[in-house]
Amino acid sequence: MPEEEVVNEHPPRWCSVWNMTRSEIDLLLFSVALKLLLFPSYRSTDFEVHRNWLAITHELPVSKWYYDTTSEWTLDYPPFFAYFEKVLSIPAAHIDPSIVDLHNLGYGSWAVVAYQRSTVILTEFLLGAVLLRFIKGSVNPPRQRLLSGSLFFHPGFLIVDHIHFQYNGFLFAILLWSILMARAGKNLYSGVLFAVLLNFKHIYMYLAPVYFVYLLRSYCMSKSGQILTGRFATLASAVVLVFLASLGPFIWMGQLPQLFSRLFPFTRGLNHAYWASNAWALVTAGDRILLRMVILSNLGIAINEQGIASASRGLVGDTVFAVFPHIKPFHTFLITACVQMVYMIKLWRTPTYQSFLNALTLCGFTAFMFGWHVHEKAVLLVLVPLSLLAADNYAYFKTWMIASTAGIFSLFPLLFTSAEMPVKIVYGLVWGAMTICPLHKQSYEFPPSWPLALLDRLEYAYVVGFVPLQFFFMVFPIVAGENPSIQFLPLMATSVYCAAGLVWAFTRLSVLYFSNAFGTSST
Amino acid sequence: MEPTASHNDRTLGRHLPVQKMLQEDAKPTTKRSRNRTVSLDVHSQYRTSMRSRGSTRSPKGTGPSDARISEILSPIPRRHLLQTSESPTWLQVGSHSEADFQARCISPASVTSSVGSVYPYSSSVRKRLASSVFQQLDLTTGGSQTGSSGSTRRDQEDSRHDPGAGRRWVRWMHKQGMKAWVVPLGIATSAWVKWCIGLGDYSGYNTPPIFGDYEAQRHWMELTIHLSPQQWYTYDLQYWGLDYPPLTAYISWLCGKVGSLIDPSWFAFEESRGIETYNSKLFMRSTVVALDMLVYVPALYAFTRIWHRSRSSRTQHASLLILLFQPALLLIDFGHFQYNSVMLGLTLLAVDSFAAGLDLVGAVYFVLSLGFKQMALYYAPAIGSYLLGKCIFLGPIEGTRLFVRLAVVTLSSFIVLFAPFLPPLAPISTFLAAISRIFPFARGIFEDKVANFWCLTNVTLIKWKPLFLGKEGRLIKASAALTIAGFLPAVFGLLWGAYKTRLRSHSRESEARAVSFGTTARTPSPTLPLLLYALLTTSMSFFLFSFQVHEKTILLPLLPLTLLLSGATAGDEVYSWGVLGNVVGVFSMWPLLKRDGLGVQYIATLLLWCRLVGYNPFRLRFDSFVGLLSTAVNIAMLLLHVLELVVTPPNRYPDLFPVLNVLISTPVFGFIWLWSIKRGIEVGWALGGLPGSGTDRGFKDHKDHDDRIPTEVLSGRGPVKSVRREHGARAVSLGHASGLTLAGTSGYRDPRRRAVDRFRGSSVGIDE
Repeated sequence: MPEEEVVNEHPPRWCSVWNMTRSEIDLLLFSVALKLLLFPSYRSTDFEVHRNWLAITHELPVSKWYYDTTSEWTLDYPPFFAYFEKVLSIPAAHIDPSIVDLHNLGYGSWAVVAYQRSTVILTEFLLGAVLLRFIKGSVNPPRQRLLSGSLFFHPGFLIVDHIHFQYNGFLFAILLWSILMARAGKNLYSGVLFAVLLNFKHIYMYLAPVYFVYLLRSYCMSKSGQILTGRFATLASAVVLVFLASLGPFIWMGQLPQLFSRLFPFTRGLNHAYWASNAWALVTAGDRILLRMVILSNLGIAINEQGIASASRGLVGDTVFAVFPHIKPFHTFLITACVQMVYMIKLWRTPTYQSFLNALTLCGFTAFMFGWHVHEKAVLLVLVPLSLLAADNYAYFKTWMIASTAGIFSLFPLLFTSAEMPVKIVYGLVWGAMTICPLHKQSYEFPPSWPLALLDRLEYAYVVGFVPLQFFFMVFPIVAGENPSIQFLPLMATSVYCAAGLVWAFTRLSVLYFSNAFGTSST
Repeated sequence: MEPTASHNDRTLGRHLPVQKMLQEDAKPTTKRSRNRTVSLDVHSQYRTSMRSRGSTRSPKGTGPSDARISEILSPIPRRHLLQTSESPTWLQVGSHSEADFQARCISPASVTSSVGSVYPYSSSVRKRLASSVFQQLDLTTGGSQTGSSGSTRRDQEDSRHDPGAGRRWVRWMHKQGMKAWVVPLGIATSAWVKWCIGLGDYSGYNTPPIFGDYEAQRHWMELTIHLSPQQWYTYDLQYWGLDYPPLTAYISWLCGKVGSLIDPSWFAFEESRGIETYNSKLFMRSTVVALDMLVYVPALYAFTRIWHRSRSSRTQHASLLILLFQPALLLIDFGHFQYNSVMLGLTLLAVDSFAAGLDLVGAVYFVLSLGFKQMALYYAPAIGSYLLGKCIFLGPIEGTRLFVRLAVVTLSSFIVLFAPFLPPLAPISTFLAAISRIFPFARGIFEDKVANFWCLTNVTLIKWKPLFLGKEGRLIKASAALTIAGFLPAVFGLLWGAYKTRLRSHSRESEARAVSFGTTARTPSPTLPLLLYALLTTSMSFFLFSFQVHEKTILLPLLPLTLLLSGATAGDEVYSWGVLGNVVGVFSMWPLLKRDGLGVQYIATLLLWCRLVGYNPFRLRFDSFVGLLSTAVNIAMLLLHVLELVVTPPNRYPDLFPVLNVLISTPVFGFIWLWSIKRGIEVGWALGGLPGSGTDRGFKDHKDHDDRIPTEVLSGRGPVKSVRREHGARAVSLGHASGLTLAGTSGYRDPRRRAVDRFRGSSVGIDE
């Protein structure tokens, strides 16, 4: 999508202020136009969640924000996001006062749809701005332009933000901004921006270890390993200030426990209703298969009776395995922490920007793979930083390609309505063609040995395999009818197939990370 | 490689590669392998120097280094390439020697082309042609600007005329080596956009008891699958009785059958009236997209392949994008809900067939188009006179033969189409009932507020309805007379052009030879370049003056206008009118779209398309009449939208905004109509002089050629099958006049002559 040639580009004066070429303006306007068309599309309960938050922040004093239970969609994002909603609620009240009416539950007039949808588009401009900044000063600007374009038009954002409804574009813009600052060597700003991001949405906590290690090592320590106390104090105080700005009023009011109980509810199950395509999806599927085998072969293995009825139902609630031992939240945290620790050691040894980016992606990946009650939307946490690595070489490109196709496909069930079916599929295909083909051309290397060549073919076969999978997904309900026992088979198949790809990409990336000597090659 | 730098940076280091390139250039063997970007650089340098040489014949006013460059650079490169090039693709635009080009510039033939005045500024041509032409252009137009380099001039031009995002994207795709992906991705994206527009509301959404166009179409599906064809046009006419011709009914039947297979309740007889369930809506929307994909999109693709066959693939691709995303059709078909794209697509297929020389196939397509929606009649005068003109062109024997064939084919397709309503299968009254349903004169002269002549004069000058109260027949006659007067120039132009260029058999032998070459019936008539203008003139005339016009009818004139636009270069006349027409066309439907709740889609599609063609409505243009007009109209449209947003209309004038809309739109449509007539005359002139000039140049003056050139060259086709592609329709129009006038003085320079001679296996040499 992005334009490579900028030679003949003489943008009009008004946009030269923004340093945008014509093709960049093209992309911006196209993105706006396409997303305007999605205004009337399906919207999930998240839409009402955010409308309710507009109402809460507009009508109630700050002290009641985290106590209000008028709607079941209570405020469960950190305070910066609440402030953000407060800002958004001011024009909303002028446009249509019933948007911010706390008791006007499920309000769905055209005014509220248009308003909330357009706030998503407008706040996403920050993403565009940050991605533009990425192009300047990158090693290979045309390639970075392609990557930036692919991120700006990412189907993940289209599905999750513009149809399903969330503000991920805006939030990831802050993350990318922070990464950009790290690239520019402004580590202090990078740390502050990440602290800000954490106070917008706490899911980014998964990435916090990377920031901690990286900033400590590259900002607070000298090359020889001595701690620079002054820098450490600066960074620490800056981060503390950010947290004070966010949490300060609530600490002062003594609402911190209430706030945290809202932010971290531990009452949900291991898997989400639809299994996020992570390691647990594979484990759960393996459990199902084992259960069948055990029942068929009459082995004397103890079966958890609860487990027979559990996972395959796809209901919200606790997943109980039939054969495998039961998994508790503590176990998942332990696994996540241990795996992340391995990457942290590598990052500690090679605190370069490239290594940081790798570790960031892998940390997000680990959290997605082994986390407790991971939502499929969390895959964006992997795909966005991974996109920045996509064109480093052919191995990274393939990792990115597999993870992106699997990750985006795993988001498809988020939009279960038939009207959005062509929207997501066609958009995904067009996006894939526009990004994968040029990147493939730019980075292709012939595999050095025949097993690797075979692997290469297999990986492409895996990507092509999504076509029959989607076909199965569409045809199966027609063939099977309303049979409750196999109703969830397409979803399960999707989840498992995507999980296989994502696990493979995760493995690939880990191997790449450890085999890459960042310290010597980087500048 | 920055062209600007090549101008400023005149250091020795930069010249070295240039000279090297030129040395290579002189060798004909290495010419093809040159790096294009490098040669562009050379080219710009060279052009500069040539201009300075050409205008002043001395390096006066330029630095000593410039003088040295012109000495080194001027003699050889580009013209050399051009003149020695025997690449058949060049034949379309002629050999651009000086004499040719000067003739072009002076003659009105230079503005002719089948699609838009593409010739001198077309980037594809510009890219390939090289300096000789542009030097001459500079000599004739702006040779005095010796100071500015050619490259900076071109850049200025580029920044003035945004080539459009579509072209930029196509260029990028080609550079990425994804040429083959452009068409599928373009079509997929357009399908995505169409589907997303369909997510919104439609005509008559949730407005019982009568609903709107959506319910009409759905009701017809219900009607046709449950009743016998004899009852289709008579059953319960009060509730959306069928008033479209049979093909609509057949397609409705098919859709109804398919839909009933999925869920019979969607089309349950009488029960399903006003059904608006989620899935039934989805099915209805998908039928529109599917039919569009089956008929309209292939027709567009065929158009870009056939009509633009002599253009670069980038231009073809860019024009396909422009056509695919035409906002008016997107909004009406996929938003408002209608099946216009089928009717337009069938007409377009007919036009494509004519351009490919398949007149009979084209006639069948046009009958199908008429059989789908009677509104295609707006095109009928142009299509009819093109075909008649073809008969005239072919001469008495071949012409009569074609005429009889056309008549038989047309008539029989009509009979087949109406077969279920005709006597062996049904009483004649069924047929009459259908006809009276299809052509209702019982309604008013216009519906709602339409941006046409009647509505405009009604609100400004005369109240027509009271004036003709009880005398509606006279009003019909008046509107018919005005309409006919409105499209007469187009009809006349087509017939006269054909008459002017008709094949004359001075000897029976030559005609026999022409027949044996197979060039007669299966070639487009030389009046083909007039066809699109004629379609525009007639359909616009119907829109402006005819009886019972709906605002959606503007889609009909917009089709030929957009087709013309698709071949035009940003900034030229055809482009400006085409874009203005499209934007105002969409704007004129704003009241309708607003009623349907398609405001966001209106903004989105307009934004998308304007950016695609590179049109910035907020830019003020004062350089030409059309520039001034579009500036004024854009400001007016913007003001009206702002006004509508801010002010609620007073109770006395509830229709204030629609009326203002009419006041803005109608003059633009009127001007487009006039412009299309003017262009028709210009193009017609290029075909063989103005009517009344009396002499058919080239025939009488050069009798020694007229037995050969008209048959093969004017028909645009060589005798050999494989070279058909090279002799596209444009060869017919482009430089025809200049080519012929020059034929006497230096006949062999005429590329088509050269081509003809070559095709004959060099049996005929230079016979001057």
